[in-house]
Amino acid sequence: MLCQSCEKRQATTHIKTILNGELKEFNLCNECASKLGYGSFFGNFGFDLDKLFGSFLEDHSGERNSKRCSFCGSSFEDIAKSGKIGCAHCYEEFYEDLLPSIRRIHGRTSHTGKLARSAGTEVRIRTEIMRCRSELEKAIKTQEFEKAAELRDRIKELEKSMEEEKSSVRGKEG
Amino acid sequence: MKDKIEQRKDISDVVISTRIRFARNIKDYPFPCRMNREQKCRVAAIVKEAALGGHSAISGRFRYIQMSELTQEEAVSLVERHLVSPEFISDREGRGLLLLDDESVSIMINEEDHIRIQVIRPNMDLDGAYDLADKIDTLFDEQLNFAFNDKLGYLTQCPTNIGTGMRASLMLHLPALKESGAMGKISASLAKLGLVIRGMYGEGSDPKGSVYQLSNQVTLGISEKEAISNLHDIAMQLINQERSARQAMAENLAVLDKICRAFGILQYAKLLSNDECMKLLSDLRFGIEIGVFDHIDYDTINHLMIEVQPATLMKNIGKKLTAQERDQIRAEVVRTALMRKQVPASRRLE
Repeated sequence: MLCQSCEKRQATTHIKTILNGELKEFNLCNECASKLGYGSFFGNFGFDLDKLFGSFLEDHSGERNSKRCSFCGSSFEDIAKSGKIGCAHCYEEFYEDLLPSIRRIHGRTSHTGKLARSAGTEVRIRTEIMRCRSELEKAIKTQEFEKAAELRDRIKELEKSMEEEKSSVRGKEG
Repeated sequence: MKDKIEQRKDISDVVISTRIRFARNIKDYPFPCRMNREQKCRVAAIVKEAALGGHSAISGRFRYIQMSELTQEEAVSLVERHLVSPEFISDREGRGLLLLDDESVSIMINEEDHIRIQVIRPNMDLDGAYDLADKIDTLFDEQLNFAFNDKLGYLTQCPTNIGTGMRASLMLHLPALKESGAMGKISASLAKLGLVIRGMYGEGSDPKGSVYQLSNQVTLGISEKEAISNLHDIAMQLINQERSARQAMAENLAVLDKICRAFGILQYAKLLSNDECMKLLSDLRFGIEIGVFDHIDYDTINHLMIEVQPATLMKNIGKKLTAQERDQIRAEVVRTALMRKQVPASRRLE
């Protein structure tokens, strides 16, 4: 299908919008989509995945091509074609394949911020340490040295429990 | 009045509203793109129960709407009022909406993710909107098993949302920057800062009503608070740029003429198409912003911009209308709203 804006390039982005009270759907190419402010990141994502997919097709001659998510049945090809992940488990199943694109989209690969109830102890401690560190920085800047000392002790404690947590996990695994 | 444009403390001349959106999914179900109808209905039932069941502190104030039961006008009007996305009403089967009584919170079920919590606040209120969204999210988290990965954070159907799953946006009126042709350049430099700006109404590079939405693009490796403070700081810079541009145009006779003509047409027109109306309302708002009019407040314009949208117009009238009937009623709605504010237009019209 050709892009409805330039009518030259192949349309790759599908957009739904409301125009004069009616739902309209548009098909645009990457260039026009990003010119109109639609999902340049997403466009790149699709492009990169295609390339990625192509490159591992050459390397692995379809061996990984047949790998499917054990929970929802998505293959990596399904994900690359649609730009949609099938389920939460796909992120674990295809972690290595997705990582380059995730890095390209966000610039980073490690979550900081709110944690769900289901989050593990280690990530909880890690997040708390980061929070304390940024507060420590602030305390030093505002010359609240008593508070800074308290925070430093708290960070030490947290780092210790982080080590313990790691070794206990290792113990369980061993 | 004009020499104060750049020093005003209140920023409601530029910021129309604030929006915070969280994307969440339930661990034991595939994402919506791979769910069948039965699974969608089950997810909708689970989320509905979590929100409206006895444990929820806010249950009394939410109502549940099954999307498939709405008329087309009612569904489109939800989009026009920014309560749901266009995508959400394109296929309404198995989709549900939880709406707070004052419509400041909407929770879409089975849109691109199982749960989309959205809080809208008038003016600039990023912290207030975030706190409320955060509370609602915690309430769901206590009852549902969210898809969460220690490295990647909250997991979402589209990898552009993983991490915090949070999109914070500000709706901005930027007539002077648009007029000066600076938007293309601004949009490119915002992209480098991890933000995106796009027109709210209509397609393409000519956003109707000069209303733009500025939001964070990056959601992984940056905390909610950092993303919000980043958005706030950049928005403030943009606001200053818009105000300088306004200052530069405030004396321009052609600009003043356009504004006063807009006011004239809006007061006396018998037929107003949606496109024309949005453009004129934007011009009128610009007039208030640079001090040409002071008897009309921003709320009146903000409300009108939504009320004149076609489906919302028909929903409020309570029946289907032809395009011409809509144009007629639109002109009436605008005229009545402006008439109520009838005070002789200010000194500059002399």
